[in-house]
Amino acid sequence: MKQLLTAVLGLGIALVPAFAHHSFATEYDDTKPVKVTGTISKVEWKNPHIWFYVDVKDDQGKVATWGFSGGPPGMLLRRGITKDVMKLGDVITVSGFRARDGSNNGSGGKVVFAKDGKEVFTAAAEDVVPTN
Amino acid sequence: MHKILMTAVVCALTAAAQQVPGIPRDAAGKPDFTGVWAGPGFTHKVGPNDTDSPTVTRFDRKKMSPFKPGGLEFMARPITGQRLTDDPTSLCLPNGLSRQILSPYPQQFIAAPGKLIILYEYMHFFRVIPTDGRAHDKNVELTWMGDSVGKWDGDTLVIDTVGLKEWMFDATHSQDGEGSRWHSDDLHMVERLRFTDPTTVTYQMTVDDPKIFTAPWTQDFGMKLHPTWKLLEFVCEENNRCDGGICTEADVQKGK
Repeated sequence: MKQLLTAVLGLGIALVPAFAHHSFATEYDDTKPVKVTGTISKVEWKNPHIWFYVDVKDDQGKVATWGFSGGPPGMLLRRGITKDVMKLGDVITVSGFRARDGSNNGSGGKVVFAKDGKEVFTAAAEDVVPTN
Repeated sequence: MHKILMTAVVCALTAAAQQVPGIPRDAAGKPDFTGVWAGPGFTHKVGPNDTDSPTVTRFDRKKMSPFKPGGLEFMARPITGQRLTDDPTSLCLPNGLSRQILSPYPQQFIAAPGKLIILYEYMHFFRVIPTDGRAHDKNVELTWMGDSVGKWDGDTLVIDTVGLKEWMFDATHSQDGEGSRWHSDDLHMVERLRFTDPTTVTYQMTVDDPKIFTAPWTQDFGMKLHPTWKLLEFVCEENNRCDGGICTEADVQKGK
């Protein structure tokens, strides 16, 4: 599985931001990258884009729950990414772009798992690719 | 007589040269496109486990013919914040042709006697295209997918489409200044599909839109067969949590 996940990195990457059905450009701000580390508290493996939620602690120990959008389930499945990849309680670092409304939501293009360093590229083809 | 014979021989040799060996054929001997394909919306960097590379694909401005007066202004519409013109698919309205063909999602071809059925994963659209060489219906209503008829030119399937309502050509150009690009309801589109090997098809699209361009123009794309793929469910309306840029709180975010 690790080999597969490594292999899929670099595939399916749209280099030019584009509107999709959910319209990346109207929902997310590609000038505001975000990178957080926390614990997965919920996963919605749904169309048209998966959402996953991460509990992130600040310096004072206060927890904020961030929501991140990824690609559609079918597109992810063809990269070898199934809903089993993200388990509740897993610690991950998510790179993406903040929602335009400034809430704790974003487009989550890349996920790195703390337990084994695996990288999973979760963006849709229409999304901007995180570089950090 | 000698000249005519030579011409016939050359034509026969040319036709034979165009026959690609090993491609699937139907009972009538015509190429059979049945299967699940990564269409023009992929760059076909095929990876392990039959993966491919879905990529937002647009028409190349350099391929287009010169514009008629007012044609560029008709086609390229600036982003205004109105979703219906910036990108109707953000409201879950259809891609329509030609954008549907370019979408970065698979498409399944099913060859039936005298017909080709194309199922598009993105938003569950479909086309049923007669391939018996018939003409278009005389009274075609304008629709998003238009009226398509097919015929064979040797081993090339030629699909001719009219009856397309004014709608987007391709995905919105949010960074190159062209905004959204629209075709007119005079769009006449011709697709030419031909195997180049048993799993590869050239997909040529000719855009003839006399309200916008001074002449038809053509761009070549490709399709790659993926034997392990099947179409999966894509539902636009289900879980748009940041629809229009305003995010709704999920249950796990409430009170935090």
